[in-house]
Amino acid sequence: MTLALVLVIAAALALVLILGVTVSTRPQLSPGSALAQRIEPIDIEAFRNLISPAENEYLRRRLPATEFRRVQRERLRAAAAYIRVAGRNAALLVAIGQAARSASDGATAEAAHELVDNGLLLRRNATIALLRIYLALAWPQSALAAAPIVHGYEQLSGRAMLLGRLQNPAVPVRISGNL
Amino acid sequence: MLQAHSFLWNYLWVAPNLLSVSLGCLIVRRGLNRQIPAFVAFLILAGLGDLALFGADIAPFVSARNYWVVAWAALLLEAVLKFFVIGEVLSKLLMPYSSVSRLGRNLVSGSGAILVLLAGLIAGFAHGDNPFRLISGFHLFEQTVFVVELGLIVFLFLFAAYFQLSWDRLSFGILLGLSISACEHLATWAVIANASPSEHTRTLFGFMGMATYHLCVLIWFYYVLVPQKVVTMSVLPLPENNLAVWNRELERLLQQ
Repeated sequence: MTLALVLVIAAALALVLILGVTVSTRPQLSPGSALAQRIEPIDIEAFRNLISPAENEYLRRRLPATEFRRVQRERLRAAAAYIRVAGRNAALLVAIGQAARSASDGATAEAAHELVDNGLLLRRNATIALLRIYLALAWPQSALAAAPIVHGYEQLSGRAMLLGRLQNPAVPVRISGNL
Repeated sequence: MLQAHSFLWNYLWVAPNLLSVSLGCLIVRRGLNRQIPAFVAFLILAGLGDLALFGADIAPFVSARNYWVVAWAALLLEAVLKFFVIGEVLSKLLMPYSSVSRLGRNLVSGSGAILVLLAGLIAGFAHGDNPFRLISGFHLFEQTVFVVELGLIVFLFLFAAYFQLSWDRLSFGILLGLSISACEHLATWAVIANASPSEHTRTLFGFMGMATYHLCVLIWFYYVLVPQKVVTMSVLPLPENNLAVWNRELERLLQQ
């Protein structure tokens, strides 16, 4: 009976989840600019500094072991916060790109396609990097390889700007300022 | 009214399956079968399988044992086809997104393996609701299939939502119908296989299952017959500005 109850509850939760996801992922009717305004700015240099192996090595040499572990945990938490924002921004850019994929203008559609591809790549990398950071939080001395995130984010910023320029060459797109 | 072999019972057993076969034929006539061959096969073969089961149920010359053999055959066929349909939907979902395609396939394979183990474990804990292994095994296998099916469907929905992947309308409709059916069937088969409900409750569950499947077939009809609304996305309402600002932003970005 307990097993039946567990499965019934699981099925009900799955139905609620599926219907919830279905409603929340209906075609985005909000204007692209509304999505673009939700993009949060990221200081990419500060992030680079946080994940720099040289900086880590310097701190390791200069600080006592316990202090280094504490500082390293703080740095990892800060890096995770940056990556979470980068992942959210990537999702917004993917949504903007999805809306522009069906544009009649071939160049815009192509730029949108690349934006979506790069956005998805960044979201994937951000997820993997976050997992690695949470692992590294358990073992602060382990090497943290989040460099692909930086590279991916830079590429994505470029694609977003290109898309904005192709959609309306005469005026700037706000999202570029945020990236 | 709510009794086995009443008019409503017979209608709910036959009508959705006839509709399912008709929908399969309609899709073939419209030439959509090349896009969704597994779903067409599922609509036609699973529909015919259930109609054959109905025939076995009402035919006086079919013994109880042979009825369950037909039921097993129909269930196995339906289960295999449903997993092909889920695979087909996954392929169509990931096709335009090369950057997450491999990840998606690997995760689905991994979660599929975990779900099979989990469903096996759940079946292992069940005590069986019938002294005849042919019948209790059938109920447990139904439960197992729906655990794996629903798990995979939930995973697909979550994966698509997380990565903001846009659904092809037809694939979305197929998966929505399958998911509603899987949720209802998992709940009812879990109770049947593990809680030994009364005969009347089983009959009510039968009505619920058939009515839900009827609803799902109608959902599929909707997604096949009603064309997608064309949503015109307006060009970004860009703030007034000029190219100089654009260039400044670009330089700032390149210097990062």
